[in-house]
Amino acid sequence: MFSGLSRRRVLLLVVLTCVLLITLDKSGNPVIGRVRSVFARVVQPIDTAVEAVALPIERAWNGIANYDDLERENEALWDQIQHMKGNDVEARSAVLEYRELLKLNQLTSKFQYDTVAAQVVGDSPSNFQNTVEISVGSAQGVGIGMPVTDGAGLIGRITKVFPDRSIVLLITDPQFSVPAQVLSTPGVDPTGTTQPTQSTTLSGIPESDLTSSTTSSTSTTTTQPLPPELTPIESSTSSTQAPTGNNATTSPATTTTIVEVVRETGLLEGQGNDKPMLLRFVDTTSSVTNVKVGAIVDTAGGNSGLAPQGIPIGIITKVQKQTGSSSALVEVTPNASLKRLNFVAVVLFQPNPSAIGK
Amino acid sequence: MRNIIFGPLLRLVPVGLIALSIQRVVFANHPVGDIKLQFVLALVVAAGAGGGSDRGAVAGFVLGLLYDASGNTPLGLMALSYGLAGMTAGYVHSFTPDPQWWLASIFAFFGAAVGEAAIPAAEVITGEDGWITTDIWVTVVVVAGFAAVMCPLLMPIGRWMMGVKRKKWKAMLE
Repeated sequence: MFSGLSRRRVLLLVVLTCVLLITLDKSGNPVIGRVRSVFARVVQPIDTAVEAVALPIERAWNGIANYDDLERENEALWDQIQHMKGNDVEARSAVLEYRELLKLNQLTSKFQYDTVAAQVVGDSPSNFQNTVEISVGSAQGVGIGMPVTDGAGLIGRITKVFPDRSIVLLITDPQFSVPAQVLSTPGVDPTGTTQPTQSTTLSGIPESDLTSSTTSSTSTTTTQPLPPELTPIESSTSSTQAPTGNNATTSPATTTTIVEVVRETGLLEGQGNDKPMLLRFVDTTSSVTNVKVGAIVDTAGGNSGLAPQGIPIGIITKVQKQTGSSSALVEVTPNASLKRLNFVAVVLFQPNPSAIGK
Repeated sequence: MRNIIFGPLLRLVPVGLIALSIQRVVFANHPVGDIKLQFVLALVVAAGAGGGSDRGAVAGFVLGLLYDASGNTPLGLMALSYGLAGMTAGYVHSFTPDPQWWLASIFAFFGAAVGEAAIPAAEVITGEDGWITTDIWVTVVVVAGFAAVMCPLLMPIGRWMMGVKRKKWKAMLE
């Protein structure tokens, strides 16, 4: 077969052809894009046929081997649903309030963009790429660079688009990066651990002194996004039923504290499978002073942003000071469970073309 | 040259498409401890171990191109890595023209290891770095181990795919 070609020549031919193809693909050759598109159509029926054979075997195996696990998981999920029902009501009211405030201040949000629902139809076959294939493409208005979310937050962005399918680069891939902001309140531990602060009621009596067994307290916290020229404030309203004397008559007392919400912006980068994302700050000193474990991280938006502002990404799980550097190593764990993706939504937000190339 | 293009390609492409679909549907969705076993790579090294390094390189190149065309990698990246894998596995023929199954498996192991390790290295060259960490050695060893186990099963398919007939040895008459 290779009588005319020596081993070295075959190898040289293979290497040179590969280098040429990589160069053409990297330069965005339209022919290669069309070839991929045609190839996707060719592979699809073969995938379907293989799936038709593999699926019954897989299901039978799962039925035999994983039945107990599934039952346990089902029970755990039911518990989770019950908890989330309660959280859902609270979250909906917060979203409505948020939208109202945005409208009031003439600001844009991710809610202004339409979304296209899609199903994850395939995973990356390679160990060195964190991508998934979804069931929508250019026919549904999907374009390169658009952010993709699931119920929990950002999961990635579109990197390749075909007529009826697209490829999503997941946020954990080392190639992924997105401008992000950390929302934290200085002095308040975002993990929910109460800081030892002395709070007083309007009457001047420290709350700690109200030690009657009938004392009950409810509090609501609202974060108000304000225009850039104004400092964002957090208003905390707390109504305390305080006993006065033996009759224990209740009088509502209101405490209003002004707390500054700190927004630290930086670039969030993936680090590979099962690894938390890494946040690099624009201002290196800010990571040490203001960022704490448990703080929320969401998309920063802006002209050079790949996504509109306010899409949740994850929470900070580790802040480690680096020796010999003013900055800290900030690790962020994504909200979304990237291994169990099923239904996702593509936000029809077209990022700045110069930002897509980053 | 005509033989190179029209001979094995007629078998390589359809077999490669089926192998690719098995990879995408079965092995991509069922990782072993977060490591996706590489069926296409196993087929490439089996073809190399069964047909020699030049045939292995061509099999790796063609199947790698199919892999690239179906995924998100730059066209030619997997072709280069798998080409190297097929060629490395085919070096078994430098030792013996008709290798035993275990010898072929050993070379398949090394071929697959070279192929899998070449992917992140090639990605660095194309500007997509970030995958070269200490963890990749575990991935490389597991993937290479799978290829070595699959080699005796896939070698007949690899030989047929590349149009290689197994040598039949006859005892010399005295």
